[in-house]
Amino acid sequence: MNTEYFKIALRNLKSRSMRSWLTVLGIVIGIFLVVSLLSLSEGLKDSVMRELKMMGGDILIVYPGDGSDIVTTMMGGVELKDKEIEAIKRAEGVDIVLEMPFTGSVVRHFQETKMALIYGIDLDDGLPLLRDNMGWEMTSGEFPRPGRREVMVGNLVPKDLFPEMMVGDSINIQGKEFTVSGVLRSLGNKQDDLVIALDLDDFRSTTGKREGTPVAMVQLYEGYDAEIAAENIERELEQSMTRRRDEDSPSFSVMTSETVTNMVDSIMGTVQLAVIAFASIAILVGGIGIMNTMYTSVKERTKEIGILKAVGAKRSDITKIFLFEAGIIGIIGGIGGVVLGLLLAISVEIYFSQIHPVFYLEAHISIWLILFGLGFSFAVGCLSGFFPARQGAKMKPVDALRYE
Amino acid sequence: MENVLELKDVWKIYDLGKIKLEVLRGVSFYIKKGDFVVVLGPSGSGKSTLLNMMSCLDVPTKGQVFLDGKDVSVFSEDKLAIVRGEKIGFVFQQFNLLPHLTAIQNVVLPTLFRGTSFQEKTERAKEILSSVGLSSRLNHKPSELSGGEKQRVAISRALINNPEIIVADEPTGNVDSKTGAHIMELLENLNKKEGRTVVVVTHDAELEKFSNKIIRIRDGNLIKK
Repeated sequence: MNTEYFKIALRNLKSRSMRSWLTVLGIVIGIFLVVSLLSLSEGLKDSVMRELKMMGGDILIVYPGDGSDIVTTMMGGVELKDKEIEAIKRAEGVDIVLEMPFTGSVVRHFQETKMALIYGIDLDDGLPLLRDNMGWEMTSGEFPRPGRREVMVGNLVPKDLFPEMMVGDSINIQGKEFTVSGVLRSLGNKQDDLVIALDLDDFRSTTGKREGTPVAMVQLYEGYDAEIAAENIERELEQSMTRRRDEDSPSFSVMTSETVTNMVDSIMGTVQLAVIAFASIAILVGGIGIMNTMYTSVKERTKEIGILKAVGAKRSDITKIFLFEAGIIGIIGGIGGVVLGLLLAISVEIYFSQIHPVFYLEAHISIWLILFGLGFSFAVGCLSGFFPARQGAKMKPVDALRYE
Repeated sequence: MENVLELKDVWKIYDLGKIKLEVLRGVSFYIKKGDFVVVLGPSGSGKSTLLNMMSCLDVPTKGQVFLDGKDVSVFSEDKLAIVRGEKIGFVFQQFNLLPHLTAIQNVVLPTLFRGTSFQEKTERAKEILSSVGLSSRLNHKPSELSGGEKQRVAISRALINNPEIIVADEPTGNVDSKTGAHIMELLENLNKKEGRTVVVVTHDAELEKFSNKIIRIRDGNLIKK
């Protein structure tokens, strides 16, 4: 019996196709926003999380400044000096401390001269750490060896920066010659993939920066609890700073992979909440559109309602017919919105991965998001159709039949 | 013969605020199974309201309406709808066909609300439409049919659920006299050959000749002859 109501509803919608499609459009826009924005923001979260996962659980990151404002810390040039590095090394549980100073520098490859970001990495201690815990691998060539004036480059360097570059080429950094020993596999974001990394000693002598690093990575002894180690490091750092009365003692932060993950999680959660809030407004407007259309429809079809009631239609039958109509508008709008939303999400993904790779964004398309989009649009349709349908159902057959 | 329909002291009063409009003033009569009744009255006499009472489209302000021995004046709206679907077949002056449905779909429509399958009723609808001479018009929409054809579709629709009573409201009012005669002939056949109870409400005294019982109404009262 319900299939017949469905057919009736469909026929009614078809007989007013222009109005029906416009009403559908209202829902399409709302669902389109929900699906595209949620799948993209979820994808963004995924890619950030994937990068974080490369950072193992026994790795800590230490940087100066308190955790509330990383940008100021990074931009302000505040650095961890050798004394602080020593203090970190003293902390219980700490195995290796890796300084990762970086700076922008002029780099020349044959006739081409460009600005590039150069990193200093302790090739003896640091390389194994990066290899094992941060997923650094070579796509071609080999890791550089200390004392041989070798560098490794990010995978976008031979593509974007110096298009002709090959392993074995020599490059000139601030007047000193180095040999490219290998190309790194992608590290997951454009900034890291444009890096030129050299031995820490070479970095120091080339750039003239004798000490200091804006960030240090700490590897713990296997099995040592990350939270306890973080406390140990903080204690050692505080002690080392109180000894230096003559200087302002900057604060510092120790981050475990867990705190970083939580931070990203909460930021992305806020973003998604905002996305849902805005998209909900769009869907609400769509729902009001459905309600408007259905009220008009009920009014126009007063006579028809009278006829249906005369030949035996109960209130519930009339309600169902109109609810089906509203529900169909909702679900068609939902399908349209889901399809368009996914199309946009996939286009954005293609744009970032192939056409303009600033960073690696994969749209997160989950079956749940699709089902949610469809279910939500159907529910909005039915809810919006409910009051008009009830108004139709409540009409007295005599009055409805007399209506012209 | 048993009474199919009986009205006992039926009043219908419309409350228009300052004045109370008494449209029916204590109407009582009965209709037996197999009767062909003509309800005759000028416009404004209350005959349409009386038709609404007889066909369970409305309930009286006062008094009782018995259909098949049951007092339907106390029925809820949904219960009345079920009674209409099962026991009453309507034929309207304006035909009241749904414009976007074909002839056969219009005929099958009342079965929809009884939970019976469309498919099995479609066969019966075809038979009925053929019996009123519309076998070649099954898939035409009302806009493609003449007035007489529309009224025959409406009569077919009235028959689909095999009702106790066929109630016709000015069935010849919107067609020419020749077609009108044909429609009445059709109703007469249903009464004589199939033994169906037929009630025709009209202002046209010409139709008296088809009836075995005449109910005259004026100003909300029955006129005894």
